[in-house]
Amino acid sequence: MKEVIELLINGESHELFIEPKMTLLEVLREEIGLTGTKEVCDMGSCGACTVLIDKRPVLGCLTLAVSCKGKEITTIEGVRSGEQLHPLQSSFIEKGAIQCGMCTPGMILTSKALLDENPHPTEMEIREAISGNLCRCTGYVKIVEAIQVASEMG
Amino acid sequence: MRLPNIQYVEPGSTQEASAFLADHAQESKVMAGGTDLLPSMKQKIFKPEYLVNLGAIPNLDTIEFDEQSGLRIGALATLSAIEREPVILEKYPAVAQAAHAVGAMQLKWMGTVGGNLCLDTRCYYYNQSDFWRRCRPTCIKMGGDTCNAIGGGNKCFAVFSGDLAPALIAMDANISLLSAKGERTLALNDLYSGDGAQPVSISPEEILTCIEVPKPPEGTFSTYLKYRIRQSIDFPLAGVAVRLVIDGNDKVCHDAKVVIGAVGPRPVEVNGIKELLVGKKLESPAIEQAALLAQKAAKPVDNAAGSPSYRKLMIKIFVEKALGQATASV
Repeated sequence: MKEVIELLINGESHELFIEPKMTLLEVLREEIGLTGTKEVCDMGSCGACTVLIDKRPVLGCLTLAVSCKGKEITTIEGVRSGEQLHPLQSSFIEKGAIQCGMCTPGMILTSKALLDENPHPTEMEIREAISGNLCRCTGYVKIVEAIQVASEMG
Repeated sequence: MRLPNIQYVEPGSTQEASAFLADHAQESKVMAGGTDLLPSMKQKIFKPEYLVNLGAIPNLDTIEFDEQSGLRIGALATLSAIEREPVILEKYPAVAQAAHAVGAMQLKWMGTVGGNLCLDTRCYYYNQSDFWRRCRPTCIKMGGDTCNAIGGGNKCFAVFSGDLAPALIAMDANISLLSAKGERTLALNDLYSGDGAQPVSISPEEILTCIEVPKPPEGTFSTYLKYRIRQSIDFPLAGVAVRLVIDGNDKVCHDAKVVIGAVGPRPVEVNGIKELLVGKKLESPAIEQAALLAQKAAKPVDNAAGSPSYRKLMIKIFVEKALGQATASV
C-alpha cells in the first residue's frame, strides 16, 4: 500500500508516494534521480550505498525510506558547498584515489563522518573507519592518503 | 534484490508495540537497526506481513551507570554508542571491545545491542537467496527435515554469530523482555536455546527492552577477542570473552569466567574454569589447561568460513592470549 512521505535530502524537501518496502537507496536513485549513491551488493556488505542520516553514516540499501521521515539525509550530491568541492573531494581527485568510481561516493561520506568526529585520525583509525567501504580497484593506498591530506587541510 | 511487500508499523512506545504484537505476532517481524533482518528478507528467508520498526520508540537507547545497580543499556542503544561510552570502556572493556569488533562503521551506527543479542543464527546453506536454497532440500531451520551443512541429521547447527552476547554473559548481564502480559527478567545466558533453528527464547509477542550488568568488583579484568578472516567487518568464526577478578596485591585470581561464541548454536560458558584458576595466580600450566577446556567446549560444524578444527584451535589460542593479557594487566 503506497503512502505519502516527505524526505529532507541535502537540505531540500521531497514529497514522495512510495511503497513501504522501498529502501532509501531505491528511492534516492529511482524516485528522485540522485544516482550518485551507488547500488552494488544491495545487502549491507560493501558500503557503496553509504549516506549520512543526521550526520551518521548508514547504509541506504538496508534503510526503509518510510523510516526516514523528519531526518536530515545527506548524499554525495550534498557534500560540496555551492561550487566549492569539499576538501575530501579535491584530495581524492588530486591523489588519484578514484579509478572506476563506484566506491567513491560511499567512501567520501564515510571519511567525512570520520573527519567530522576525529579531525586528525591516525592511519589505523582511517583504515578501521573505511573498513565498511570496499574498493576492488585501488587497493586503498591512495584512498587512505587522500583522507590524510584532507585531514591536514582542516 | 527487492524486499517483499510489507505493511510498515511504527509504534511510538513499548506499550503500542506490545499491544500490536499481542494480536499480530505470528505475521510480524520486529526490526531495530534492520541490518540482519533486511538482508534475510531480501533473500526471502522471512516474508512477514507486518514489519514493526521498534527503532522509533524514544528513550530505549540510553546508557546509564549507577554505583549500586551497575550498568543499564537500553535495547536500542547503537553499537557505536556502546563502543565509545566511557563507563563501558573503563569498567566493562569486553563489552566495548565486542561492540567495536562487530563490523563496519555504518553497521555500528544502525545496529543495536538488542538486535545483536537476538541475532539470527547463520549457516552457509541458510544465508542464501531463495533461488540458491531451492537447489537443495529444505533445511531444518527453514522448516524442512534435513541439515544441508552435515548432509542429513535431525538438528540444526546454525551458528550464533553475535559478538556482544559472549561479552555480556561474561559480565553476568540480565535482560528484560516486555509483552502485553507484562515484563520478565532473566539472565542473558538463559536467553539462548542451543537450537540453531530457534536460537533465541523470546516469544513472538515479546520485545527486549533493556540489559542490566552488575557493577564489576575491584580488580576485574575483561576482554573480547574475535577471530575472522579479514581484520575488520565480518561475523565471528570464533569469539572468546574472558572476565577475571584478580587481587592487585598478591595477584591471586578470585573469580574467572570464559564464554565462547560462534562455535555452536549458542554462546557457551566453559565449565571447569573456576576450578582451574580461582585461588591461585594465573600461570602455566593452568592457563593452557583452561584453554584446552574451552577448545573442547567448542563444537562447530562445517557451515562457515574456516574449518571447524581451525576455529576450535583459535578458541584455545584466544583463551591463552586473554589470560596472558590478564596477567600482564595486574
